[in-house]
Amino acid sequence: MVAGAAIIGLWWLVAHNAGSGWVQVLGDLVFGALLIGIVGPFVVATRARITVRSAPGDGGAGFPVEVHVESRNRVRARPVDPPGPEAFVGPAGRRGAVDSVITLVPVRRGVHDAVTLDIASAAPFGLQWWTKRVQLPLPAALHVSPRCGRAQPVLRHPDEGTGDLLDRPRSDVGLPRGARPYVPGDARRLVHWRSTAHAGHLMVRELEQPAAEPVTITVELPEDPEAAERVAEGALGSVVDLLDGGAPVLLGTTEPSGPVLGAVADRRSAGRRLARAVNGSDGAAAAERAGAGR
Amino acid sequence: MSVLEAVRRANQPGVPENSIRLRLACLGAVLVAIAACASLQEIAWTTAAVATVLVAAGTVFSHATRARPPGWVKVLVAVGALAACVWFFHEVSSPTAGITSVVNPLTVLLVAVLVVHSFHVPSRRDLLFTLGASAGLMAVGAALAIDLRFGLYVVAWACCSLWALTEMWTSASGGGRVSTTGLVLALGATTAAAAAVFLVLPAPVVSSRVSFIDRAGAGGSVGVPGGLAGDSGVAAQLSHAGSPASRIRVGGYLGFAASLNTALRGNLGNTLVMQVRAQRPSYWVGETFDTWQGQSWTASQPVPRRPLRESSPFILPIPLGDVPFGQSDLQTFYISSATANLVFHAESANEVWFPSGKLYVAGDGTIVSPLGLGTGSVYTVDSQVSTATAAQLRADDVPFALSPATLLQEEQLPHPYPRVQALAESITAHDANTYDKVQSLIHWIGAHTHYSENIPPLPPGADTVDEFLFGNRVGFCEQISTSLAVMLRSLDIPAREAVGYVPGGFNPITDLYQVHANDAHAWVQVWFPGYGWQDFDPTAVVPLAPPSPGATALRDVGSALSRIPPVPVAAVVVAAGLVIVLVRWRRARPQTWAERVARSAERAGRRAGRPRRPSETFAEYARRLDELGAGDGTWSRLASSVEASAYGGLDPPLHAQRALVLEAKRARVLRRAAGGPAAAPERPLERV
Repeated sequence: MVAGAAIIGLWWLVAHNAGSGWVQVLGDLVFGALLIGIVGPFVVATRARITVRSAPGDGGAGFPVEVHVESRNRVRARPVDPPGPEAFVGPAGRRGAVDSVITLVPVRRGVHDAVTLDIASAAPFGLQWWTKRVQLPLPAALHVSPRCGRAQPVLRHPDEGTGDLLDRPRSDVGLPRGARPYVPGDARRLVHWRSTAHAGHLMVRELEQPAAEPVTITVELPEDPEAAERVAEGALGSVVDLLDGGAPVLLGTTEPSGPVLGAVADRRSAGRRLARAVNGSDGAAAAERAGAGR
Repeated sequence: MSVLEAVRRANQPGVPENSIRLRLACLGAVLVAIAACASLQEIAWTTAAVATVLVAAGTVFSHATRARPPGWVKVLVAVGALAACVWFFHEVSSPTAGITSVVNPLTVLLVAVLVVHSFHVPSRRDLLFTLGASAGLMAVGAALAIDLRFGLYVVAWACCSLWALTEMWTSASGGGRVSTTGLVLALGATTAAAAAVFLVLPAPVVSSRVSFIDRAGAGGSVGVPGGLAGDSGVAAQLSHAGSPASRIRVGGYLGFAASLNTALRGNLGNTLVMQVRAQRPSYWVGETFDTWQGQSWTASQPVPRRPLRESSPFILPIPLGDVPFGQSDLQTFYISSATANLVFHAESANEVWFPSGKLYVAGDGTIVSPLGLGTGSVYTVDSQVSTATAAQLRADDVPFALSPATLLQEEQLPHPYPRVQALAESITAHDANTYDKVQSLIHWIGAHTHYSENIPPLPPGADTVDEFLFGNRVGFCEQISTSLAVMLRSLDIPAREAVGYVPGGFNPITDLYQVHANDAHAWVQVWFPGYGWQDFDPTAVVPLAPPSPGATALRDVGSALSRIPPVPVAAVVVAAGLVIVLVRWRRARPQTWAERVARSAERAGRRAGRPRRPSETFAEYARRLDELGAGDGTWSRLASSVEASAYGGLDPPLHAQRALVLEAKRARVLRRAAGGPAAAPERPLERV
């Protein structure tokens, strides 16, 4: 703006000394273009309306999440919370589609009911960018799970690791009763290759009801956000490791509504629980109240 | 951020610009600017052609090497720009060139910079610089533009620039296009902002320090040294005052000659004689006459006049009786049509920049060119313009006096004017000073005479002043001003007749006063001891005001609007309305056969008083129409075909579609007929 004013001033000086009205006409045109180039983006950015058409409910820290938005004007959008790379949304071309995608790359776990964007425009001349910060509500809360950290060693039985369990069946699989044909949904690890070879199609072991005891993981997040993030990452790693091993897991966390202890069946539900987790030591108390084992 | 950091950031290479359209738009703006300067002869056309080729080649090269510009190109651009700057400063500082010759070297400098820069334009920021430099080149060209033809270049450049700016946004936004509505809005807003600034800002005035332009135009030398050439521009043709043969000629005023016959008036016409760039409006005086002979004025100083032999600029001597009082005023005259070889100027000329090695000047300040002033001639005059106020002139008691001989000449009368003297004394009986006497006489003339260019011929031997003041009291500027001069002389007040041009209309775009042939004028100069010769115009009692560009532009716009003929405008409006109605009707027209059938059904139902309900499907509606009608199931059958087409994509053959549409139209007629008692079907006439 200062440069524009300086240009106009110099131009006026030239016009004054030349005495020609054409110089002033040209200077006025340049001034008009600069003015519209400066004010136009402000108007466009102020009037820009972006709405979120769809967004996933789950995401992971460090992983891109695509959010579909709709905008009548072409604007530059830079996600602030959760952060993400800037992208242009709105119609590309005079008859272009108004649907666009912005990518969020959350840094930390958390639950986002809205996404904060810095939208900017330089229309119609591309001379000056005006930025406006907007908060767009999401159709459903976006649960950002923590990164999957290194799994902590978890003892699933008091004498685990002593060698006494070597002759026992694994507590998470129960006792095999026989074999049956594979049906979609059966775990790969239950495929019984010998029967499969014999039958000519996939056979899986059929087990007695599981005799495994759930493993309870209690997550106590410290106050420091970075430290809490590390703890959550470790917890998720452990839960995923246990789930991959077939062990039922009870996860105790503290959520804004209070302590919560519940089973997590898969990585997604674990991620959601950890996304909602907040600092507090009530998670352990909840676990005790539930009377669950370790 | 430190300055160093800011400089470093500013010099970081930008992102390579891939938009070809943006480069083309910038190239167009540059080429238009070069052509504009060439059209104004600021650069030669050959230079412009070479620059055009080089800039185009540079643009192609820049686009090809935008990702990795070669290092030697930067060196080439830097060395080229530096060399151009060195050349420019050498040109403008050489002893043979004054500051007046800055414009052409500046144009060459900018063109050279644009040429070398075009080879290194990798990013959008560089293209923006190109656009700005083209604007600078246009401004340099505009500095010498004196007519509205330059507007074509301005419009072309503005279009290219607007295209470039919108392409800049397209490129910056990854393909975002400005909508047509947005483009129109932006264009309108830009124009409105420019117009607002143009109307608000005061008019630029020519600087008294930099613009001393002179240029020889068409027209040869004058045969008689110091003589007055004819207006035709032909050399050695002396003009003859009052010659009926010369009444029709460009500029046709008969006063620009050795004498002024007040009994004759030439056909002035409306030819543009010259354009004047000046710091303020003035009467552009050509010559003065001091000897009144009853019907005509002559100058007491004979031809040839005294030559000034130094080169341009010519320093002029102070005219007889003049007092160097007032302020400097610079005027540049652009001759548009061949006119008399008088060097017109405002009031008292001090210095003249003229494209010849000689000028002739008379004792009264009249300047005569040895060249015929043909089309394209340009000269500049620095004048001393009086700033004396009415109060100063009233209180003028400086004991200066003209020499007795000059005083005798300026108070000369061919014979006694007892009636004129009595009238003048009666009008000025209550006035104590010269200024008030002049004003009283002007007011009396304004109140008791009428202006007309069609006056009866003066009888042979009659006196112009007696005829005007005591006869019909109708005349034009020469009769009016001569009467004032004679009345003043009868009161022993030195006065003389001056002829020249009124300032002319002010063009706010070119900032030039446009002087036409019918702006030729005669007025009176009255001598005041302390202030010299002062202009008084009894013909126009209302004093001239400095022009306001905004007011002038608004007045011109209003005048232009008032001249718009109503019938063609109304025809255009009606035609536009018809076009809009036609377009809307075509858009509202059913596009498919199914829509036509549905439209027919709805229309038939509406006419039968059974409009379609919003919640009703077409099949339901058709059933209702069938129940209303004869019950033959026509509408239901049609509805099933329509729904099969709309929802199942099962379109019947074309001939069947036409048949269905026709059937729907006929059914509509039957329903209307069925509103009353059952109508008998029409039967074709049979031959019996």
